Amino acid sequence: MLEQFVVFTSGGQVVYQFNCLGKKFAETQINRFISHLLGSPTIHNDENTGRYGVVEITGNTSTTSSHKTLSRGFCSMYHVSKRPELYYVVTYAEQSLQLNQEAEETLQIGINLWESLGLSEHILGNINGNGSRNKRNCIDVLADLEEKLEKFDKYLKTKYESILNRENDSSGSFSIGKMESKRKTREIKGKKQQQRSGGRIWGRDGTMDEINAQDSKSLDFSENNQQASGSMGHIDKDSFGKKTYEGDFLIKEIDDLLSTQQESHHSNEDKGGSAFGFLRRHLLGNKTITETDLKSVLDKLKQKLITKNVAPEAAAFLCKQVSRDLVGSKTASWTSVENTARESLTKSLTQILTPGVSVDLLHEIQQKAEMRDAQGLKQPYVFSVVGVNGVGKSTNLSKLAFWLLQNNLRVLVVASDTFRSGAVEQLRVHVENLAELTDESHIRGSRNRRDKTGNDHVELFEAGYGGSDLVTKIAKQAIKYAKEQEFDIVLMDTAGRRHNDPTLMSPLKSFAEQAKPDKIIMVGEALVGTDSVQQAKNFNEAFGRVRNLDFFIISKCDTVGEMLGAMVNMVYATGIPILFVGVGQTYTDLRILSVNWAVNVLIS
Amino acid sequence: MVSNAVLVAIILLLITTAFFTIRTTSSGLIPVNHSGKTTNKQPTFIIAGPSESGKTSLFTLLTSDLIRPSVTSLEPNIAPDFRIPISTKTFSGRLMEFPGHLKLRNKLFETLQNSSNIKGLIFVVDATVDPKGLTPTAEFLFEILQVTERFPNGVDMLIACNKSESFTARPPLKIKSALEKEIENIIIRKQKSLEMIKGNEKTDEDGNLQEEPQVFNLGPNNAFKFESLEGNIDSVEGSVMKKNIDKWECWMDERTVN
Repeated sequence: MLEQFVVFTSGGQVVYQFNCLGKKFAETQINRFISHLLGSPTIHNDENTGRYGVVEITGNTSTTSSHKTLSRGFCSMYHVSKRPELYYVVTYAEQSLQLNQEAEETLQIGINLWESLGLSEHILGNINGNGSRNKRNCIDVLADLEEKLEKFDKYLKTKYESILNRENDSSGSFSIGKMESKRKTREIKGKKQQQRSGGRIWGRDGTMDEINAQDSKSLDFSENNQQASGSMGHIDKDSFGKKTYEGDFLIKEIDDLLSTQQESHHSNEDKGGSAFGFLRRHLLGNKTITETDLKSVLDKLKQKLITKNVAPEAAAFLCKQVSRDLVGSKTASWTSVENTARESLTKSLTQILTPGVSVDLLHEIQQKAEMRDAQGLKQPYVFSVVGVNGVGKSTNLSKLAFWLLQNNLRVLVVASDTFRSGAVEQLRVHVENLAELTDESHIRGSRNRRDKTGNDHVELFEAGYGGSDLVTKIAKQAIKYAKEQEFDIVLMDTAGRRHNDPTLMSPLKSFAEQAKPDKIIMVGEALVGTDSVQQAKNFNEAFGRVRNLDFFIISKCDTVGEMLGAMVNMVYATGIPILFVGVGQTYTDLRILSVNWAVNVLIS
Repeated sequence: MVSNAVLVAIILLLITTAFFTIRTTSSGLIPVNHSGKTTNKQPTFIIAGPSESGKTSLFTLLTSDLIRPSVTSLEPNIAPDFRIPISTKTFSGRLMEFPGHLKLRNKLFETLQNSSNIKGLIFVVDATVDPKGLTPTAEFLFEILQVTERFPNGVDMLIACNKSESFTARPPLKIKSALEKEIENIIIRKQKSLEMIKGNEKTDEDGNLQEEPQVFNLGPNNAFKFESLEGNIDSVEGSVMKKNIDKWECWMDERTVN
């Protein structure tokens, strides 16, 4: 049983919606699907499961918005049509063979029906300003479409029911264990009863009762629901008897409609003449862009991106987006295809690099400082830094510490790298430096009043060297210590690890579970090439399903000049934003990423 | 004589062709400059605001008098010749509605920079949001103000407190002062935060793209007030779902007079 079938424009106007369970249309579900689509760019790419893209959205407690809601997971199958840009989305409870198939069939029928009724063309006309204007001198997307929409609604529902019926006949013969699915089966049966004069009831134990029409009507509670939801023009339910024939007629009518549509489909392709086409492509503009026009241009752009250190995978994805965006559209007057493509690429790059969540660290630190735990102690804000060996984890951690110290926050630096020799000593040097910078009277090598390295503002928490169980032990102790001593910030340095070694990566999960850092930062260097995609992916997955990285720091940006491709690679691979970039060797060389700057450098 | 004229015509054609070829190839080397390319001179009203505040619904209601369900927008909605509903004189202009999702805000800022005749900006806010949770909204408003306050007289803004039909809706003045307070905090935090990365010599050439974050001056006693801005900021309640937007329409009408 599917949940919802929705068609909406890219502007967010819902042009058609059908809640298969007869409930009120739930926008929030679709909104979650859209934000998921926006948040993880790579999903567009992943179309190996079938004809249409499938997105699985896991249920979670969303704490990002102001209202905390417990939401359940669901699945959506979608298709995006061009000209006009319409999104066809089907949502259903979970991935299963039957549901996937059902969704695919329904989606396909929906799209075909939509096309064959000429709804798309009409909507396109309305968007382009050919429709009739209302008193506001505007053209509504759905102007003059009520009749066709009603027809579509009727056809779709009939078809959908026939899909359901067929599936029921084949799968209804064995009893299903779960209560949940049993309830659903009964709902489907309920719908079936509307069509036939009699019906069956499935008992809890799998027994089956034949019932007559009156009974089935009294059992059908969906009617009230549907009427409450209003706007749906549904099929007349009083005439059960006639319904069957009518339904048959309808299905035949629909099938006829669909078959005629398929024939006429391959006829309207415009091919520009060779000489004039050349002029239009390069000079005049106003040309309808085709796949072939774009190919050479895109190859050039792709090559350029790759020279800027963008991974081929990511470059191909970006080019695909450009062609998806442009094929079929018209270039502006006096604009070449190349420039149009470049503009579109700028757009996709900007969208990829722009963070999908707002990260205001100081605000979040303030908020956490206001909260108290059960004992009334102040909660420190915990960062932990992860990354491959030698990317600059400790250096960037110290830079971060310096900035936080400037904002009068008390920082505890934790040496959780218990593996590499000299790691603790290295951090001690940093802490000495930072202590000196915050307080000039600090004497190097001296101990503060708690007998630790550092002074009152910044302090090192160390516990020597050892195995991975020591790491989590240190992390826990450090947080406890920070609470008692009223530190505002805890910065945890971790050991560098190779991202494709499971034995090194697996301790990260338990570390994140034990230490519960507020922010997990991955440091990636701008120097790394194609491998950055895999690095980001593996580190993001190392924390398990429930926890992700929070943001990236891209270090060593001063050493690569224009080759900032690693930034694109990492965001492309994970959808996680870059917050800071390291641009030099001193403590002050940490900057906030400017997306415009990065895009300009990449595209120039 | 005829052949002469043909010759001249051919030469002219060649010259123009050469000119445009040079133009397009040279423009191939310069990075595409989004801003300043197309300037929108039409009188324009802009609808903006955070996600799920009711922008698209307001747009639909304004343009077609209908209430239709809407989902998160991915592209802006544009009505090119929009007639103000209750107008003292006939006025037509452009009505644009921009997505509120963080990843898609870029387009709004671009349009704001390129438009020279913005009549007003309707910033739609969900009035049911707890004032404590207004930080992201204030951040968005602050970013918009950073662009609009560059104009000689700023841009008049309406904080449209939507969903007033709800039991939990806050009064508009309270929302306005909460936003004021939040923006003040944001400015203080911005001053404390790290610098934005600046382009080196290479990007300075097209320095017009590189927007310096403009930090507002806080008035005496370190307070931010909407009154001190160039544009007028009004805060008015209304409800799209109940078609109760008369006050907003009046506000739009007032902007068209001047």
